[in-house]
Amino acid sequence: MASSSLATRLGGAHWRLWALVPIAALVGAIALFVSTGGSLLELVGQGPPPRDELDVRRVAFRPGEIKVRVTNPQRESITIASVTVNDAIVPFSVDGDPTLGRLRSATIVVPYDWVDGEPVSVGVTSSTGVQTTEDVAAAVETPQASARGFLGYALIGLLVGVLPIALGLAWLPSLRRASPSWLAAFMALTAGLLTFLALEALAEAFELQAGLPSGVGGLGVVLLGVVSTYLLLTFLSRRLSGGEAAGGLALATLVAVGIGLHNLGEGLAIGTSFAIGELALGTFFVVGFMVHNVTEGLGIAAPIAERGRVSLRRLAVLALIAGAPAIPGAWLGGFVTSDVLGVLFFAGAAGAALEVVVEVARYIARKAPGGLSSGHALGGFLAGIAVMYVTGLLV
Amino acid sequence: MAKNLTRKQILAGSLPLVAAAPLAKLAWPSTAHGESSATHLEHEHPAAGHAAMIGSEVPAPGGPHAQDAALIPPPALPHRPGRVREYSLTAVDRKVEVARGVSFDAWTYNGTVPGPIIRATEDDLLRVNFSNQGAHPHTIHFHGIHPSGMDGVFEIVLPGDTFTYEFPARPYGMHLYHCHVGPIKQHIHKGLYGAFIIDPKKPRPAARELVMVMNGYDTDGDGENNFYTVNGGAFYYAKYPIRVRRGELVRIYLANLTEFDLINSFHLHGEFFRYYPTGSTDHFEYTDTVMLCQGERGIIELEFHNAGTFMFHAHQSEFTELGWMGYFDVSD
Repeated sequence: MASSSLATRLGGAHWRLWALVPIAALVGAIALFVSTGGSLLELVGQGPPPRDELDVRRVAFRPGEIKVRVTNPQRESITIASVTVNDAIVPFSVDGDPTLGRLRSATIVVPYDWVDGEPVSVGVTSSTGVQTTEDVAAAVETPQASARGFLGYALIGLLVGVLPIALGLAWLPSLRRASPSWLAAFMALTAGLLTFLALEALAEAFELQAGLPSGVGGLGVVLLGVVSTYLLLTFLSRRLSGGEAAGGLALATLVAVGIGLHNLGEGLAIGTSFAIGELALGTFFVVGFMVHNVTEGLGIAAPIAERGRVSLRRLAVLALIAGAPAIPGAWLGGFVTSDVLGVLFFAGAAGAALEVVVEVARYIARKAPGGLSSGHALGGFLAGIAVMYVTGLLV
Repeated sequence: MAKNLTRKQILAGSLPLVAAAPLAKLAWPSTAHGESSATHLEHEHPAAGHAAMIGSEVPAPGGPHAQDAALIPPPALPHRPGRVREYSLTAVDRKVEVARGVSFDAWTYNGTVPGPIIRATEDDLLRVNFSNQGAHPHTIHFHGIHPSGMDGVFEIVLPGDTFTYEFPARPYGMHLYHCHVGPIKQHIHKGLYGAFIIDPKKPRPAARELVMVMNGYDTDGDGENNFYTVNGGAFYYAKYPIRVRRGELVRIYLANLTEFDLINSFHLHGEFFRYYPTGSTDHFEYTDTVMLCQGERGIIELEFHNAGTFMFHAHQSEFTELGWMGYFDVSD
């Protein structure tokens, strides 16, 4: 008995070891291929020489100084040899090694008396003579991390995130008086606006990833972002509703999380735009986002309308979950500005919103009179998309 | 993402949240005027620009005497008709450093851009042994008066082949030579050119003699020059100023071999000079700026009235700031 179980155990270990064989064989095959010096590749022709173009991540303007953040997107290393501003070679310094390995970044500092509001063209030339040029439409001083700026971005986040959602939640008493059919319509409206947000976020993610260096694998980042938040919210929804389909407060929380993730990306976008001086009409821009986001509050209120009393504290927490992420988003966008982070955030927002759409749809199918195909549900869904479209024009 | 945001239209007319407007004002960040934590290069104001580019600060390639062969011509010989002046030029493909840290895959005569200075006196028999060690067909086309078969246009020298150019040197003046195989734009731009001086029968007055060949490099193949230089290295004479003495006669043999751009020019600060176009007559112009198209050349003569540092550069500011500038260091 004892010996047979030992044999089984050994047998199990044996098969587990066997699983390593393909990996070991692969390592061997790669080693063999690499050690032959790529002579196999010569049979089918030579690869093209490296492009030696850098990826300009950010051009920052400080008084009397321009800072250029560059990344090497290719496999072969690139050495920064010369820098031009508006077609004139300028003295510069690099923080660290001017030779950048794959996906390595460096910041180039150029002492320069730039002119406020005028276009600037920055050129970085590699040791092989290839010049990468980045055109900035208008030189504007780049905001620095300061207590003042921190507060400013927090206020923007509050205005576009928390405030409109809190206002939207104030529709709750009116929703309570609605008939079940109309409540279903409002739930469908929530699904509609979340669908809109998901598509919008996905489009942003795709647009951003297209600008990333190929070495980062933008599409993979998008898929990873979408799927991971989708699965996370699925898990969360099972937890909140104890295994059943989510409804009531649990569903409202899910909606809030979905919207919150979206607002994180939205805050990032707003912060970045302010930081790089592209938001000339900043005030109207913020107002537009506020109007746009009031509807999101309505979306959170709808699932809890049929329930009894919900404490003000609960409502406040929901508003914070959905709206507050705009604040760290704005900070990140304003002070860090990372396109990779942007892709991840927007993709994550899309995944979360889609998951919540599925939850809401299940809820309507289960609870609403007439289910998913009722006139109220269909009309509400369409109205949700239309409302987001129309208020989105303000932004 | 930012682009996407601004693209969207803002309909200022429909603002349903009246209360939001004053609140939104709070959100508008005032421009932060934080002190710059700038790691300034050690020199002064950023506006110093090229005034700051002097001495060790200059991003120029090579060492103190790296360009001497291109700057200082071999001495002129007295007039003796029929004397043979023999030169050997070999075409080689070579990487050259055209600006500090920037290499260029050049086609060269004898490994340098510009190629060696060829000098003869009028009525010398010039013999140039050309060997093509490059990967492409090349020739040497001399400016001046010579037989058709010595023109370097039809006698293509294939890689590995040789050719001997032989003709009497005339007329006197500042000339040039370059490869004339098509596409000519490419063969010239890649670096196959140099200065060709023919001295007159009656020797020119003794002088501090200098050669300056103006050129440009398109290092990334987009049909536009990335760097401009005299004698091959961007900013070279800003890093290593040319030393002359006040009052001595300075003679500059100037040629333009810049490709892509229509013209180039030479401007000297704080001084006027006599400019002899092509240097083949006594006709001169008294000026401080001359303009040359590709292939144009001439002789500049001057005596500095003052000691000190005097800039010289192309009076196309763009060329200046992309490397074509330098200084004379005039001592008493």
